[in-house]
Amino acid sequence: MKRFAVLILFACLAAARVPAQELDPGKILKPPTDTWPTYNGDYTGRRYSPLTQINRENVGSLTLAWAFQTHGRSLESMPIEVNGIMYISAGNEIWAVDARNGHQIWHFARPGAPVGGGNKGVAMWKDRLYMTTPDAQLLCVDARTGKMIWQIQVDDPALKAFGGVAPLVIRDHIIIGTSGDTADLPGFLESVDPMDGKIEWRWDAMPKKDDAVAWNSWPHDTNVSTRGGGMTWITGTYDPQLNLLYWGTGNPHPVENSEARVGANLYTCTIVALNPDTGKLVWYFQSSPHDTHDWDTVMTPVLFDGTFKGKPRKMLAQANKNGLFFVLDRTNGKALISEAFVPANWVKGYDDRGQPIPDPDREPKPDGVLVTGGVGTNWQAPSYDPETGLFYVNSRETMGVFYLTMPGKSAEGWAGRDFFLGSKSMLKAIDVQTGKIRWTADTEGRGGQSGILTTAGHLVFTADMSQNLVALDASTGKVLWHMYPGGSLGTGPITYELDGRQYVVFLDDSVAYAFALPLSPAHEAVESRSSHAASNP
Amino acid sequence: MLVAGLIVAAVFLLKAQEAGAPPPGPGGRNPAAEAAHAAAAERGRALFKDNCSACHAEDATGGRGPDLIRSTLVRHDKSGDLVGPVVANGRIEKGMPAFTSLTSGQVGDIAAFLQAQITLFDLHTRFGPYPNDIPAERLATGTVEAGKAYFDSHCSSCHSPTGDLAGIAKKYNPPDLEVRFLYPSGAPTTAVVTLPSGEKFEGVLQLNDGFYVGIQGKDGWYHSWPAKSVKVEVHDPLAAHAALLEKYTNADMHNLFTYLETLK
Repeated sequence: MKRFAVLILFACLAAARVPAQELDPGKILKPPTDTWPTYNGDYTGRRYSPLTQINRENVGSLTLAWAFQTHGRSLESMPIEVNGIMYISAGNEIWAVDARNGHQIWHFARPGAPVGGGNKGVAMWKDRLYMTTPDAQLLCVDARTGKMIWQIQVDDPALKAFGGVAPLVIRDHIIIGTSGDTADLPGFLESVDPMDGKIEWRWDAMPKKDDAVAWNSWPHDTNVSTRGGGMTWITGTYDPQLNLLYWGTGNPHPVENSEARVGANLYTCTIVALNPDTGKLVWYFQSSPHDTHDWDTVMTPVLFDGTFKGKPRKMLAQANKNGLFFVLDRTNGKALISEAFVPANWVKGYDDRGQPIPDPDREPKPDGVLVTGGVGTNWQAPSYDPETGLFYVNSRETMGVFYLTMPGKSAEGWAGRDFFLGSKSMLKAIDVQTGKIRWTADTEGRGGQSGILTTAGHLVFTADMSQNLVALDASTGKVLWHMYPGGSLGTGPITYELDGRQYVVFLDDSVAYAFALPLSPAHEAVESRSSHAASNP
Repeated sequence: MLVAGLIVAAVFLLKAQEAGAPPPGPGGRNPAAEAAHAAAAERGRALFKDNCSACHAEDATGGRGPDLIRSTLVRHDKSGDLVGPVVANGRIEKGMPAFTSLTSGQVGDIAAFLQAQITLFDLHTRFGPYPNDIPAERLATGTVEAGKAYFDSHCSSCHSPTGDLAGIAKKYNPPDLEVRFLYPSGAPTTAVVTLPSGEKFEGVLQLNDGFYVGIQGKDGWYHSWPAKSVKVEVHDPLAAHAALLEKYTNADMHNLFTYLETLK
């Protein structure tokens, strides 16, 4: 019997290793199993895997399968895994790693580029990888060899623009966003041709004259509406049936100054739905109209279908940096739920579209204003589990003091200063039918926030702020497994199954850790060291 | 897993986590070069005021002429290599005359001033060093009387204006003083750990993540236990500040600052 199992396993291994290693585009359309082919695993942004080998009954016995060292490069990227190869990125570098055992296949270091800098992850199209860099270049790299094919400048570093956002591949479009938050800098999304990087379309966060709604949401007695904000620095999501691309935009400029830009300031702090073939706006929902607190709206717009108040709905949910949780009908952007998930005193009420109405008394003032709700969460990815119907988010309750340091209409760049005092950190499980919090788990500590993964094993994987990697029961929040790896989890875990073994991978500081269940006897037989290495004649 | 009192450190993490800041420039600090650059920028400020401010405004944000803080050309300039030709030749078609009397050294000083202004506008408030550029008068918008009354009813059980807080306004710059009274940091949290045997250990709490408890004991040695195996009583000396933080109104904050600022 044992021998039979081994033979079957060998057959599976052989079958799995024969096909080409390039990405089958259909993989991104399905929930992730043997691959994790894009920033969030699939287009939905749910970060939910149907894998069940590791589950709440056995997760306590999780053990280290392998680790991969970058030898000191700080990682805040989401790895991807395609056909047994994992791609891990930082700054101007990519490592291709054997996803079964952690051995390096190749290391790409962009010629002449400095070492270091943040990166959120690579995207893959067929046999090519794409990444954006600290100096705002888009690189195209051969996934087989790690050799660079081309690079193009996508934004101006002299205006303090930088890259890092993981591109999103939609059919034959590479969709890229851009980052930067010091100088006034206009945000945009671009679609480029995967072959040569040629721009196919560009969508601008700054208003155009022929778009009256957006244009009239800014003053025009100065040039402030051309100058900036609305950066697109976290990867969006996509609905192939509706053919809509969803992306969040950052804060308006000058930051924290109200007087210089009276109005809603579209399309900053907004979830936009675009046609990915043309870049045309289909609908928008502004989660922080006239933002004066640096509430970016870049947090992942998570897509799922289901029944809402008895009606089938295509939904989009976002837990925002401004402390509010939104569920929208993603066909039209209409709000189904607008509800605070941490105390948020800057909200006066909600308008008829479910958008918050900011309280002018909580705008930054020269002598300081106390504001709650700030950095209720940040860019680290949340997760949605369709089995529990819960949306999981790492949250913080803070008290901010906001000072207006550059009043008046001529303000530019950063016109205020904020301090966040006190911080209660919790993982919250939000019921998407009501917006109410079903359970919370204390995640207090001195570290940073982490992203989340859920699986059909009824598990939530993340890290607490004391830097423990944890697995929790998805229904109750009970901690079922933990591990202290000594660093901090920059993004979120990913999972995949190869040769019948499920791995959960965490990029922690400069190391990738892959955890799995202890080897089964059949695996032991296959993976034990072969005789040529062990014998000593 | 709550470890209060360690939290102000999170302030900086909140900022550090934004977007993923770009990498630092090459090389470390060079105080001599920085001082020379600052001196050049100061000379440039005077030259800019005399020659350029009529159109570009004293702070270079523009007026009749373009805003130079956001100018792509100025932002790409290195020591006057791009600004210099524009100054020397003017942009006659746009109404800017040539400034032929300025020497290349003076143009370099103006370029240094413009770079300093760009840094000021970009980093005026955020990621730069903790600046002391919020004057006390700006924050002291309450009244001393109301601040003293608040102090007497909320703070005086632990603090005294003639004791531990004597001269406090001299010790901290204005925004630091305000942030510190709102939510101070630094006073260590202590804990008493009781073992199943009844033996007690007391000391500074080092670790309390829900899985382990670690303290530096009175004997100077570090001890730790699985959290479930012991009983832990945590004492956070700043707990009263944490409780007050949720209750302050903006007026309380302004009044208290106005009062504390008198303690010089």
